[in-house]
Amino acid sequence: MSDNSMSPVKVSLSGRIDSGNAAQTEQSINEQLAGKGNIPVVIDAADLAYISSAGLRVILRIKKSYPQLKITNVNSEVYEILEMTGFTEIMDVEKAYRVVSVEGCEVIGEGFNGKVYRIDKDNVVKTYKNADALSEIQHERKVAKLALILGVPTAISYDVVRVGDSYGSVFELLNSRSFSKILATEPDKFDWCVDEYVKMLKKIHSITVPKGELPSIKEKTLKSVLRMKDSLPNGLGDKLVKMIEDIPESDHMIHGDYHTKNIVLAGDEVLVIDMDTLSVGHPIFDLIHMYNAYVGYSEYDPQIVLGFQGYSSEVSRKFWHDSLRAYLETDDEDRIADVDRKVRCLSYAGLIDWEIRHPDADAQKANATIELWKTRLIDILQTIDTLDFEIGISDASGLSELNIDATTDNLEKVIDFVNSRLEAVDCSPKDCMQLDIAVEEIFVNIANYAYAPETGKAGVRVEVSGNPVTVTITFTDRGVQYDPLKKEDPDITLSAEEREIGGLGIFLTKKVIDYISYEYKDGRNILTLKKELH
Amino acid sequence: MLNIAKSTENGKAILSLDGRLDTVTAPDFDKTVREVITGITELKLDCEKLEYISSAGLRVLLTAQKIMNTQGVMKVCNVNETVMEIFDVTGFSDILTIEN
Repeated sequence: MSDNSMSPVKVSLSGRIDSGNAAQTEQSINEQLAGKGNIPVVIDAADLAYISSAGLRVILRIKKSYPQLKITNVNSEVYEILEMTGFTEIMDVEKAYRVVSVEGCEVIGEGFNGKVYRIDKDNVVKTYKNADALSEIQHERKVAKLALILGVPTAISYDVVRVGDSYGSVFELLNSRSFSKILATEPDKFDWCVDEYVKMLKKIHSITVPKGELPSIKEKTLKSVLRMKDSLPNGLGDKLVKMIEDIPESDHMIHGDYHTKNIVLAGDEVLVIDMDTLSVGHPIFDLIHMYNAYVGYSEYDPQIVLGFQGYSSEVSRKFWHDSLRAYLETDDEDRIADVDRKVRCLSYAGLIDWEIRHPDADAQKANATIELWKTRLIDILQTIDTLDFEIGISDASGLSELNIDATTDNLEKVIDFVNSRLEAVDCSPKDCMQLDIAVEEIFVNIANYAYAPETGKAGVRVEVSGNPVTVTITFTDRGVQYDPLKKEDPDITLSAEEREIGGLGIFLTKKVIDYISYEYKDGRNILTLKKELH
Repeated sequence: MLNIAKSTENGKAILSLDGRLDTVTAPDFDKTVREVITGITELKLDCEKLEYISSAGLRVLLTAQKIMNTQGVMKVCNVNETVMEIFDVTGFSDILTIEN
């Protein structure tokens, strides 16, 4: 048994601890801990009014014998002493939380993990059902702050309080309406909701998250699929696992529970709430949770969506389809259907795992639901070989990225993509042509050589910045490691007879742009081009 | 997109290029050049409407130039400024006979 899994021993302190009673207090604590070995100790300071330096020395000695010491429920006077003396830096000190009662308060929202109560005119408290509510609250506060800093408009709780035996986080009451409410009551706002909803989703997906700040949603999905994969026949479970493993890694932000109850309109500002599932990963992982909320979860019983979102399954299905269409920026129904299929594949797998672990009270219904999802999942698994898809992500900041099959057939799409990102800037015909040349040469090189004879993906990212306006284009691929800058320049003084036919592409690229660099990192070739516009 | 208009007369061929000469259109251009080049003594490429050229297009021009050097002359006419700059930086303005 490791130390961490031992339940801590709680010691309570009360009143004043000073030179008059410090020795006595120390003796009493040592008696309570005697013979228990090196265990985690929690000092409950709820009733501690004052502590002098003699008392602090007692705590230091206890900390020495029991390194896993934690002090909780510290009132603000005592906390100030601990902070001034540097104790808060050498040990785990938790402030006492304000106690809030929700008895008789209006419930204004309810989710799977808890309820939201209105506690007075201006404030709401969000409570949590889970035993480990405090760490969950702290996690959500941390990621919500990160999201806000990175540019996602969201509401942040300003206080953590005690609610009964658990904890809650306090938010300012927003004069807001969720998109679910708007869709349920104002059908003529449907298209507006789709537009704003997708715009916000793209904004989230365009954000690059510093390494280590958020968990990878791919790993979480893999865990869930590993739990259910053996319920699929003919090795299809292993095929699914392999396909998930093959989804490219990404450091872009994912909300993780992006449905219309979590998008609210406050005044004329659109906000995203419920940030606890914030992660990084491929956009498909957000699409999965969207599909779950709109269609997947209620696929057997369409009434469920009405209960959950407040609008009918017809509205819900149309909202999913139209959002996906807007997100993919396409009217090509085949393409939408292709991505829809890939999304459903992972959606069903996750839902099956979920239902097994949280079965409907009606066992017959639970089984029928699982069977329906399983049948559809098996159908899809037999027809697809990859979960990846092409996507253009852009936002107002001028940063955008395209992930596309590296084939010369896609050259026009890549050029169009780059040009569409340059529309906003004043790019002379000559600069545009020179950028086109550079993009063509690099992309065609990747298409011809990176994965030959197979094909694979290339990433194209366009950033526009600064004064003078500079365009930065970054190409990435996971093909064979190759540094094109090592290639020797052709001798352009030779006569036509002497000159070789090939070898001009990279040379020409170097001539038409201002800066080029290559690196090989994390299994990727990364080629960066920069050009100042004139 | 690249449109190629061709005319041949008395051992001379004129190809007028309209559009973009890139990785996608170069194979077509190469095919057209090979169709007309046999036995001619002069090949004239009218570039008045040529908007764009990449290394794939340059390769075809070099191939054509090599062939024409053995059997006659090749002239490249009405080259616009941006395409001309590509010929300059790649040394093609020294290889090709450019008539503007």
